[in-house]
Amino acid sequence: MTAVGDAEVAIELRSATKRYRDGEREHVVVREVSLRIERGRWVVVRGPSGSGKTTLLGLMGGLVRPTSGDVWLAGKSIVHLRDHHLAAHRRASVGMVMQDLGLLPGLSVVDNALLPLVPTGGARSEHLARVAELTARFGIADKRDVRVERMSGGERQRAALVRALVLDPPVVLLDEPSAHLDAERTAELVRLLGELRAGGKAVVVATHDERVAGAEGVDRVVTLKDGTTEAARAPGEGKE
Amino acid sequence: MNRQLALLAFAVGALHRHLRRTVTLGAALAFTVAMVASALMLTDALRAEYAAVASTSPDLTVQRLVAGRPALIDVTVATKVREIPGVVSVRPRVWGYYFIPSLQGNLTVVGVDPRRSDVRRDLGRIVRGRGMRAGGRGEMVLGDALATFLGTQIGDEIGLPGEGGRPVFLTTVGFFEAQSALWTADALVTSEADARRLLRVPDGHATDLAVRLSTPDEASVVTRKVSELLPDARIIERRLLARTYELTFSERGGLLLAALLPALAAMLVLAWDRMTGLGAAERREIGILKSLGWSTADLLAAKVWEATLLGVLATVLGVGAAYVYVFLAEAPGLSDVLLGWSSFYPPLDLRPTVTGTQVLTIVSASVVPFVALSVVPAWRAASADPDSALRGT
Repeated sequence: MTAVGDAEVAIELRSATKRYRDGEREHVVVREVSLRIERGRWVVVRGPSGSGKTTLLGLMGGLVRPTSGDVWLAGKSIVHLRDHHLAAHRRASVGMVMQDLGLLPGLSVVDNALLPLVPTGGARSEHLARVAELTARFGIADKRDVRVERMSGGERQRAALVRALVLDPPVVLLDEPSAHLDAERTAELVRLLGELRAGGKAVVVATHDERVAGAEGVDRVVTLKDGTTEAARAPGEGKE
Repeated sequence: MNRQLALLAFAVGALHRHLRRTVTLGAALAFTVAMVASALMLTDALRAEYAAVASTSPDLTVQRLVAGRPALIDVTVATKVREIPGVVSVRPRVWGYYFIPSLQGNLTVVGVDPRRSDVRRDLGRIVRGRGMRAGGRGEMVLGDALATFLGTQIGDEIGLPGEGGRPVFLTTVGFFEAQSALWTADALVTSEADARRLLRVPDGHATDLAVRLSTPDEASVVTRKVSELLPDARIIERRLLARTYELTFSERGGLLLAALLPALAAMLVLAWDRMTGLGAAERREIGILKSLGWSTADLLAAKVWEATLLGVLATVLGVGAAYVYVFLAEAPGLSDVLLGWSSFYPPLDLRPTVTGTQVLTIVSASVVPFVALSVVPAWRAASADPDSALRGT
């Protein structure tokens, strides 16, 4: 097992808890979760609606700060990082595909893909080449300059993946990535996630979809219930 | 530098992507800026015009008051005043307000001596028509507004009631040029003799005395000596006159701006409402950008650029509209408020100027609050966890 701080450990959560306060009431969305994910691993996070999957992804990606506990991302504890350092670390370390993809309407595939680069001073030639390579790889090269709201669901899914991978991050987080895909597109997505894993990236997918959770190549399935993890199991092991 | 340029380019794109919001806010801000700028430009232009006139006034104007009202002054006093050290010249003037019942308005009758070459020269500069002859008796030059009101043409002769109701017949020989309209709109300039007949000013008396001094610094000393000489005199110093004009327009301009404050406040409330009311979409966009590695500072910088671009665009449009309204359209509606004129409103032919102070005032009053109001909700959204962005809600 590699040590924390070693780049081989892509994500580590140590007793991470996230509470939200709503007036007098307090909701514990993620409770005392400890989890370690190495590079080159594909982990599926499952659980019923409201079990805390999305918040857990947010904690892993440095988008949500834990109320208590610690989060390590790509060799660095991110809990106490200042905002701009955290943003830079997140930009370099995490590619994220949100539940509804999070593409900005009115922008083309290329413009959406280059959004992470705006705070760094904009795209350089190598970034443009990377976008060209990824759009060709995902079969949307001919849609590069099309505004995303004019594309089909499957094409938008791939556009979101292009954006998540444009900076070649070591961690890729996907929230319900097959929610709007048919069987053929889902199979394509599963193949692609396998490629990312094989390429050495840590892939974390929050999903209800058994086609993704039970796919070949998934290393671990983590089940969340009421904000906390049940025993992790390898795919194919008996249901908890 | 590259970062700011990239954020600026993103802000331009955001304005384009949210076109409806951009147009709504831009139009509201431009309208507000136009109102404030119109008030400032008109006030400043009028203040400048009056200051210019004050600078050509006599150093001292000596009037006589009886029971608190202006009364005629004996011209022999002029000789005594002339003997005061520091006085260069004293000129008795005949002028006054002349009420015409049929017009329900006052006009200003000014008597001049057309035999004097300097008078003919000065009039020649601002009069359209042949102007007054050296004799000048029975001739008059009219202000534009008055001439329009009377419907007179050059060569027309009109009779105005004089002493004992006997008409004084005067022939129109010219009109004042538009550039001088602010001062001559309601003026009837005629020979001193005809002015005396119209205003019932007997020979040996004048309306007031125009005093020139060797240096304006002598004004207070000479004023004191004239007061000793004429206990019932009211003496108006030129610099006090200029100060009065300054205060008058500052007060009126200030009142006008105060009246415009509700409009400004309404615009800013609208901006606040739009910026915060659009929350769901905007918060979502902020959350997405944050998940892509934008820091709070990046998001705020983009928002500041966006609001500044919109603010600058609206300011340019608003100031441009105000310029056209004030200097080309002659500020219909607003000029009445500022001039407080009585019967014959002059066509305004103001010297077009937009000063740095005006622009700074406008930017401070409208653009700066607008930018601040747009940044606050963005800062609040950017500072929070972008949870809704992750959930797509």
